[in-house]
Amino acid sequence: MLHMRTISKIYRTELVETHALRELDLHVREGEFVAVTGPSGSGKTTFLNIAGLLEEFTSGEYELDGESVRGLSDDARSRLRNRKIGFIFQSFNLISDLSLFDNVDVPLRYRGMKTAERRRRIGDALERVGLASRMGHYPSELSGGQQQRAAIARALAGSPKLLLADEPTGNLDSQMARGVLELLEELHASGATIVMVTHDPELAARAQRNIHIVDGQATDVEALPRPGHGGLAATPSRI
Amino acid sequence: MTIAPILRSLLARHKTAGSLVIVEIALTCAIVANAVFLIGERLQRIQTDSGVAERELSRVQLAGVGNQDDPHGQTREDLAALRAIPGVDSVTITNQVPFGSSSWNSSLHLDPDQSEPAAHAALYLGDADFLDTVGLRLVAGRDFRDGEFLDYHPEEGWQQMLEVDTVIITRALAERLFPGDSAVGEVLYFGEETPVRVVGVIEGLMRPTGDSADAPGHHSVLLPVRTPYTIGGSYVLRTAPSDRERVLGDATEALSRPGASRVVLEQETFEELRAEFFHADRAMGWLLLIVCGALLIVTALGIVGLASFWVQQRTRQIGVRRALGATRGQIARHFQVENLILTSAGIVLGMGLAYAINAWLMQRYELPRLSWIALPFGAVTLWALGQLSVLGPARRAAAIPPAVATRSV
Repeated sequence: MLHMRTISKIYRTELVETHALRELDLHVREGEFVAVTGPSGSGKTTFLNIAGLLEEFTSGEYELDGESVRGLSDDARSRLRNRKIGFIFQSFNLISDLSLFDNVDVPLRYRGMKTAERRRRIGDALERVGLASRMGHYPSELSGGQQQRAAIARALAGSPKLLLADEPTGNLDSQMARGVLELLEELHASGATIVMVTHDPELAARAQRNIHIVDGQATDVEALPRPGHGGLAATPSRI
Repeated sequence: MTIAPILRSLLARHKTAGSLVIVEIALTCAIVANAVFLIGERLQRIQTDSGVAERELSRVQLAGVGNQDDPHGQTREDLAALRAIPGVDSVTITNQVPFGSSSWNSSLHLDPDQSEPAAHAALYLGDADFLDTVGLRLVAGRDFRDGEFLDYHPEEGWQQMLEVDTVIITRALAERLFPGDSAVGEVLYFGEETPVRVVGVIEGLMRPTGDSADAPGHHSVLLPVRTPYTIGGSYVLRTAPSDRERVLGDATEALSRPGASRVVLEQETFEELRAEFFHADRAMGWLLLIVCGALLIVTALGIVGLASFWVQQRTRQIGVRRALGATRGQIARHFQVENLILTSAGIVLGMGLAYAINAWLMQRYELPRLSWIALPFGAVTLWALGQLSVLGPARRAAAIPPAVATRSV
């Protein structure tokens, strides 16, 4: 599904060069639930941005769902992002001017879908996250947990190949966080491919596989057998 | 198209700022539509056809000083002297000219007992050379015959000039007095019992002061009356356009020879007369144009200001939209559609307001009713202005990178 080979990202200013990613190799198979962890400044967000086609990389190869993204134009990257990726952000990033219905509608409109198809998908997605009855509400009228659920509905509505979650419970209290996490697990159980960036080890432990990024390089941290969602066996290895 | 959610967002979350821009656009639209209409009116006035061969005509106006022994004799000498100037094709003398400062007028009756006049018209007194010299074209009937002319002696009273038997009238006046019939052979009264017969109809001859409340601009009557130069009339000279300046200089010199008994009041080409006559209209046109321009600039700045503010305020939202798959073009279009909605609302409101302003102007200043043609002009101007104004902010919005969506707040 997601194949990154020797991906490097260098930020250049007049005075300094910052290597955010150094020949990073990272692979995610279809249907996997992968947590990407690492300390602040390790390159997690840069990885997420590149994986989500929000930023270009300096060198290396990146294939998303079998399609090389190197050298794509800005418009082509936008269209690919719209069709294949669903984003779940830490601060939800719902558009405050729009109702839940219109928020979920945003990526579908950019895809140019017909009205009837959009309505059906919006209804299904909000139903799935338990907010069908709130579709006329504005984000400010919802709790943090409900907002994140609405953001997940927006990410799901377009039937993306890959869900990218950036600290999805980072702005939620523990009860709301548990609800959102359970939703992600449900999505994974129904076949969704999820890559979740987090610095919370407890959250990462709920994923099927952990990838640890340090100094712009990735190491795999294999999880123990799933039933107990127990502690991690720290056996770093290059993937 | 994304009109529905943008409209819902404007109505729900940006009522105040949006309303202010709508009101600004409405006011501009209303004022511009009225101003454009008024400018159009002035332009139409400026282009009024006088009916005479303006490019080939010049005039010299004299005034006598003290008693004039033989004004008619002096006038004949003047005409002979003017004809002798090289380059002069013909010369005439008349009591008034189009675009002149004075106007002789009379009410016209079709019956001596008629209480209300049938029309009002300007009275042109001309000699045998008048028609040919000023370039008037007969469309029916004939020119005056030699025996029909009389000399006007002001000391005998102004009624004396009305003792003519025949007149020539303009086509516009003929259609007003005798609609559907030929005017030639018909009889008119200048409010007196003596009838005058219409012997000819000319294409057109503008009243000296143009349109007025009591008569349209081309209601004129030509009387076979020779006037002396002392009544404030003008000598009119016809020349090739290239000779006008020189001939005018020579004519002024020739007419100044008799010495101190008279002075030259005016000497100018008809093109100069026209320019002077419409000076106020042109000035008003420019003034309205400048006001419109200033208003459009202020409105454009208002639109740029609000759009720039909204782009800045929505930087993260734009980043999120980009992350969700919006292309740069779709982001730019979002702001253009938003502007189109605001501008359209302003235009609709502005059109109603334009008619209200016009109704007020009609009541106060007797202006004509606003032509509907001014409205689409105002609308297109405002739409174009809105789209041009929002272009810069929209391009800045489109340049916001999608990675903004993942930046910490």
